[in-house]
This record gives sequence, C-alpha cells and structure tokens, in this order.
Amino acid sequence: MNNKYIFGGIIIVVFLGIMGYLFTQTNIKYEEDFSKIVESSGTIKATGEWVKEKNYNIDNSKNIFSFYMKDFNGTELKVVYSGAIPNNFESSTSVVVTGKYQNGEFHASDILTKCPSKYETQYEIKETNS
Amino acid sequence: MAGNILITFALMASVFSIIMYYLTYKGNTNTLKFARIGYHATAISVIAASAFLLHAILTHQYQFNYVFNYSNSDLSTGMLMSTFWAGQEGSFMLWLLLTSISGLVLLEYTSKRGDLEERVMMIFTLAVAFLIVMVSPGLKNPFAFIWSDPTFIDVKNINQSFLSLPFLQEFMFSDQSTGQSLIKMNEQLVALLATKGISVDQFIVFGKGLNPLLNNFWMQIHPPMLFIGFSMATVPFAFAFAALIKNEYTDWVKQSLPWLLAGMMILGLAIMLGGYWAYNILGWGGYWGWDPVENSSLVPWIVGVAGIHTLLIQKKTQSDGSAGRFVKTNLILSIMTYLLVLYSTFLTRSGILGEASVHSFVAPGMMVYTLLIFFIGTFTLLGFGAIIYRWKYLEKTFTAEENVLSKELGIFTGAVALIASAIIIVSGTSAPIFGTAVELSFYNELALPIAIIMGILNGLSLLLRWKKTPEKSLLESLKIPTIISVIVTALIVFIGGINDFMAILFTLSAVFMLTVNIDVARKIIKGKKLFIGAYIAHVGIALFMLGVIATGWFSLEKQVKLEEGVTQNILGYDLTFNGFTPINNGQKYKFNIAVEKDGSSDVVSPVMYISSFNNSLMRDPDLLNKFTRDLYVSPVSYEEGSRNGTNNSAGTKVTIEKGKSTKFNNSVIKFTKFNFPADAMAAMQSGEDFFIGAQLEIEYNGKKYVSEPKMESRAGERSYVGTQITDANLNIEMLNLDASGKVELSLSQIDQADTEAAQEVSLASLWIEVSVKPFIILVWIGTLTMVLGFFISIIRRTKEANK
Repeated sequence: MNNKYIFGGIIIVVFLGIMGYLFTQTNIKYEEDFSKIVESSGTIKATGEWVKEKNYNIDNSKNIFSFYMKDFNGTELKVVYSGAIPNNFESSTSVVVTGKYQNGEFHASDILTKCPSKYETQYEIKETNS
Repeated sequence: MAGNILITFALMASVFSIIMYYLTYKGNTNTLKFARIGYHATAISVIAASAFLLHAILTHQYQFNYVFNYSNSDLSTGMLMSTFWAGQEGSFMLWLLLTSISGLVLLEYTSKRGDLEERVMMIFTLAVAFLIVMVSPGLKNPFAFIWSDPTFIDVKNINQSFLSLPFLQEFMFSDQSTGQSLIKMNEQLVALLATKGISVDQFIVFGKGLNPLLNNFWMQIHPPMLFIGFSMATVPFAFAFAALIKNEYTDWVKQSLPWLLAGMMILGLAIMLGGYWAYNILGWGGYWGWDPVENSSLVPWIVGVAGIHTLLIQKKTQSDGSAGRFVKTNLILSIMTYLLVLYSTFLTRSGILGEASVHSFVAPGMMVYTLLIFFIGTFTLLGFGAIIYRWKYLEKTFTAEENVLSKELGIFTGAVALIASAIIIVSGTSAPIFGTAVELSFYNELALPIAIIMGILNGLSLLLRWKKTPEKSLLESLKIPTIISVIVTALIVFIGGINDFMAILFTLSAVFMLTVNIDVARKIIKGKKLFIGAYIAHVGIALFMLGVIATGWFSLEKQVKLEEGVTQNILGYDLTFNGFTPINNGQKYKFNIAVEKDGSSDVVSPVMYISSFNNSLMRDPDLLNKFTRDLYVSPVSYEEGSRNGTNNSAGTKVTIEKGKSTKFNNSVIKFTKFNFPADAMAAMQSGEDFFIGAQLEIEYNGKKYVSEPKMESRAGERSYVGTQITDANLNIEMLNLDASGKVELSLSQIDQADTEAAQEVSLASLWIEVSVKPFIILVWIGTLTMVLGFFISIIRRTKEANK
C-alpha cells in the first residue's frame, strides 16, 4: 500500500468522522413556524420579524436585551438575549435568532439583523394612491 | 447606453477570441493574430465600460439605477469611487475588470512560451466571457436606467424646484407607515420630463448613499484585493487545463507557480484585511466569525495554498524530462481552487445563505441563479472532464511511492490536512443548502486539531530530507528544535497560565513550527537569499497561531456602566467617561473615555450616531493599541443625566384610554380628550413649533380639578410638560401620547417626588462593552510576515519560470 494513501487517508477519514459526529452535535435547525419551536428542545435558528409595537427592552444592569418576534402566521415569541442590542436592529427587515426555547422564552445566543444593505436594492412599498 | 454597447461588444469580441484561439490550437497559423486582437478588444471594452461606470458615479448620474442606489453626492472622492463595488452589479463588474486586466498580463506571459498561449487563453477568455454575460442587460447590469423597472424615489432626492410641475402629482405616492412622500419613476414620467426639457439626472439630485457599514477607509481596499485574488485564481485552472489538453505535464508547474503564489498572497491578505475591518470598525469584537462570506473566500485560499505545496514537490522532483511527483494532485488542486472561487460566488450571491450570514443577501433572480450554476457546471465539466479523459494515462505514467521518512510525504500529508480543513469549512458553510446549519463550535473544534497537526507537520517536513531520511539523522536534527520548543512552550504556559490541554498542544505546535523555520531561515540567509520566502511565510503563520491562542483563550470581556466623571477600574484599566463631543457637523457623537493604566493615560472615543441611510443607531468601537494587548471599547447605549429629579423614575406608570379613568392614591384621573389646536396639524407637517395637550379630569375628596399636561415640539425637539395638583398631592408627568386615543402618564405624590428629586440627581451614563485582547497584534504581524514571505517566493519563482 502506498504510504501517501495511508497517511492522507488516515487524516481524511479521522477528520471526516469527527466532522460527521460534530455535525450532528452542533446541528441547528431552521424554523420559520414559531408554534413548532415551543415543542422542540434543540438549537434552532428562527427567522421572523420584530414586533415593533411591543418595542424592545434593555436591562443594562443584567446585560439583557429582549424583544418580541413574530413569524409569517403572526405567532409571537419572546426573545431574550444576553448582550447589547445589535447594530441597526431598529431598521432590520427581518431578524434571525439562534438559540434554544426554554421556560416560555427563546434564549438567543446570536442575533442577526438583516437590513436593506449592500446586496439589496429593492425598495419595497405598497402602492397606495394618495 | 454607451455602457451596454461596450459590454455587448466585449462579449462578441471575447467569443471571437475564443474561437480564434481554438482554431490556433487546432493548428491554424493565421488565426493567432485575430485571437489576440479579439482578446485586446475584449479587455479594452471592459476597461472602457468600467471607466464609463466610474465616470457616471463621479458625476452623480442618478439616471442609472446603480448609481442612485449606492452613492450620493456627499461622499468623498475616494469613497465615491468605492461605491463602484458597493452593490452586486458593480462587484461583478469589478471582478470582470480585474480578470480582463489579469488576462492582458497572462497573454503577454504565455505568448513568449511556445504554444502555451492558445491553450491557456482559450479557457481563460471563456471565464471572462461568462463574467461579461453576468453584467449584461437583464442580469446584473450596472448600466440599467432607474426607470427600466418602475422605482419609488423619496421626494427628498428630487430637485425641489421641479416639485411644482403639475403632472408630478400623478406620480406622487405616500407610504402610510413612514409618512414619506415618494415619486414613482417610470418611463411615462421620464417622457413627461423630457417634454419640459428636464433630464433625469437634473431631476434626481441625491442618491440613496452608501451603507454606513461600508462607508469607511477599508472599503476602498478590501473588495478590490479580494477580487484580484479571485481573478488570479483563474490562471492555475487555465494552466492545468492547458497541460491536460496537450497531455504534457512538466512545464506548466513552473509557469503556473508565480501566478498561484501571487493570487494566494493577495487573496490571503484580502481575507485578513476583511478581518481587520471587522475588528476595528464594524465592531464584531474579533477578527474572525466563521461568517459564510469569510468562509467562502477562505476555502479557495486553503486549497490554493495546499496546491502551492504539492506543486513545489512536483517541481523539486522533476529531473531529465520526468514530470515529477503528485501530477494528479496538482492538476486537481489547481482546478479546484478556481471551482471553489466560483462556488463561493454562488453561495454568497445566489441568496441560498440568506438566513445564515451577517451580510444581507437577496436572491438575484432566476436568470442569474441559473447562469451561476451554468458557469460552475461548465468549468467543472471542462476541468474534471479533461482529468477523466486523461486518467488512464495519468494513472499509468505518474504513480510513485513515497518513503515514510521523506519530505515529499511530509508536505503531502500537510496538504491533506489543509484539504481536510477546506472540506470541513465547505460542509459547514454549505449546510444551509440542505436547510440546516452548524454552530460556530463546529468550526472551532475541528480547526484546532488540524492546526495543531499542521504546525507539527510543517516543522517535521522541514527537517526531513527529499526522498529518504535516515532515522538517525532525523532524530539528530529533531533534538535541538524539540528542546527549544518544549522550553519556550513551558515558559509561555507558565507565564501565561495556560491550563487547557488543547491550548498547550497548540502552543507547542506553533512554537515548534516557529523554531524550525527560524532555524532554517537563519542558515539560508547566508546563501541564496531568495530561497527564504517559504520560511518567512511559515514564521508568519506560526506567529498568527500564537496570536490566535492569546486572543482565543485569554480575551476578557465585560459590559459596564460608566457615570460621567466617575472613575472605575475595569479589567485593570481606570476608565472615566468625560461626556461626548459632536463630530461631523453634529451628525455623530464621540464619547470620550479617559483610560489610565500604569501611569500612562489615553483617550478612547467610541462613536454612536443615527444613520440617515437606514434610520438606525450605529456604533463604532474604538480601541487602544498597545503591543501586548488591545483595549477594545464598543458603545452600547447612552443615558442622559437628569438634574431635576422628576425624570419619571419615581412615578407609577399608567396608560389611560380616551374616556377611561384610573385611580392613584385616592384620586380618580380621567382622560377626557386631546387638546389638538387647529394649527397644530399644519405646524407638525411643516416642522414648526406646536403642542398637543391631554385634558384630564381629576376627582379628589369629592372635588373636581382639570389639568392639562402637554407634549411640546420646539425646533423639532419634543418635550413633555407635566402638571401638579397641589390639593390632591398629585404630580403628573406625561410620558407619551398615542394619536389613536391613549396617553401614558407617570403619577406620583408631590411630597415624595420632591424628596426623591433631591436624592435622584442622576449622572449621565454610558454603557460600554470593554474587552481586553492580549497579543492580538501577533495576528496582524503574522499576516504581514506571511505576505512578505509570499512576496519573496514570487520573485524567486518568477525568475525560475523565465529560465
């Protein structure tokens, strides 16, 4: 057997093995339907919109930022995040939170705000004749 | 129009050039001249089209959708130029431009090397042609007019003197949610304007502007660098393909090496510039976030670097006409480097990663999506098709065995480790295609052991000899570097207090790599100085790794509230918040924080501002660079101080609907109606001063009182005026009013409010996130050292390629 296949093969096999294992361990499920999040226990990436009417709350002393998010059905979800409010949260078109659902709240470890930015040019607006 | 004519002409010229090169390759002798003319015409048209776009940007020709969407008249010339690549259309254009220019150099380079030109340029021009199609009308075309798709434009972007045009009313719309007035820009309006002799660029006088996140110095450098790297990655593919079609595998190695080295040097530098940008300005808090966009440019770099190593083995092992070792590996890696650039573009531009990235992506439409797939598909078929076609020959001719203790095998195994890391990153980044994703720990946990293996393999390979190393001599040469590394590692572990096993192993690996490379470099510098490049690059990587250990395991972070004038000790620094100063004509605020440590004092000034681009709060961090550690301060929020003490802190918050009442401390408070003066509405719209009152009826001890707290607007600043009813011991503060018929009040007792007011003179305070990042400078020094090493190697390999 060729030495390079043995050495190369070992590295590839070992790391692909570890990768496969870690893949299942660190797997994040996408969920856009918030009613399903309530039932799940794993790490979830949820996409929705910030409920502007309910504002957001910043507890600086505990370093907690919380807000309400709603999905396409309008189902609301309270999101709690340990950390500062992300840049341009207010102007976000949609919010992607990663975390786990516990005790009636979604504990986010990461918040992405998607803003009309460099790769977006569409200016969406309903046509309403004035 | 001129832009699109140039693009169309470039496309025709490139197709012509491909055909002419193909005919030359097939043996025609008189077609080469035409092929060259064709390529030059392509490149010149692309350069002219780019100049046209740049000119349109610099002269604010907002009739172009692209110019309107990404630039504005208030940008400095440098930033204005960088809006060229601020959007998707422009960045494809930039990629095309840089690829075309690389092609001019490549044509010159290959034309001196026999029949290489037609074989290489044929496939290279095909890549150029694909990019031209990408920016063609209907796809990602930067020359589209603003009215080609009806667009809504905010009235404030319009030349105000034209607002009185009577027909404009028909095109006016208003957005209910934001109250903006918009003008629908379509062909009809353009035609009407033309009848008045008004051109669109006279009509629209402001653009939407550049996203504030992109509006900084690095925007001018990072994207062009990245695209130079992407453009140059096309070359190794073309060389590998050229070798395959000729079935001759010796010369392409030395010809391709300088290109691959240069491409990877620039790509590597560009990636880390992105990291520096993210760290210093965007406030990511670190230089690397495993963001899909970062990952997708890192993967081609890793594979390209693996290719550099195996190409070097092939070159080294070539003698008397034999092609050398690892022919197959080198062909595959050269082809993969470019395919991964294309795949990276596909991932980041197709909208597939929409929910996974910080960068906001929008699906570019079915046409572009299909074209991207077709682009990748074509090059995959060409690349791997050629390999499969030649596979039997390759298998028969180039199969060799490496000795266990040989430099060849050591480097090869290192290259495999690099490829393993590339596979891991690609898998994690591509997961969103299959509707799933991975946590960041996936990358961190896998990258760590691979980095450890690579550091050790690198040191080991340098100690091994070509072909075969006697065990004894290996042990002999290992002795000193090992002893030094163990001692240095022990010192670092002891002084730094590292107690994580993997971190210790990683330190040992990095120090071992550093020691061996410095040792080899020390010996070489006396002889052939140009041979030192590789070792300098490796020293850079080792320093980089040490920087990663320091920042990865020893960064400290804390969120704190700084009250104005009060000094606090945070993570070993004495921080004092000294108020803010408006900068940029009051558009931004600089928050001044005095930093004292060990007798030296500095000021850090993070910035916060509301961006008019997206109406949201932007925070720019500031940092204090010291050699051993960075103090990184990012602003979180600012609370104004209250000197009068009645700042709703003491009260009970209530919301009352119109006609309803609430009880507070024996009083019944009823909200009867708003006092909305007739002129308030008009004043509100024109931005003049006005007030709105909330009429309240208060019942206390059987008596009725009337009170009216107000919301006032003076010079655009809103404030609330509270009232007091002394008999009822009632203090009313207005917090908010809602036009739908609600008021929010803060109710308190006067006597208590007074006493609390005396105590509650609160200071202005600033919330900040402070972090201390030890030796992050090693990351930057390591990167620059690596680039220097690459640069020296490029000089050496270019000289060799000219032999």
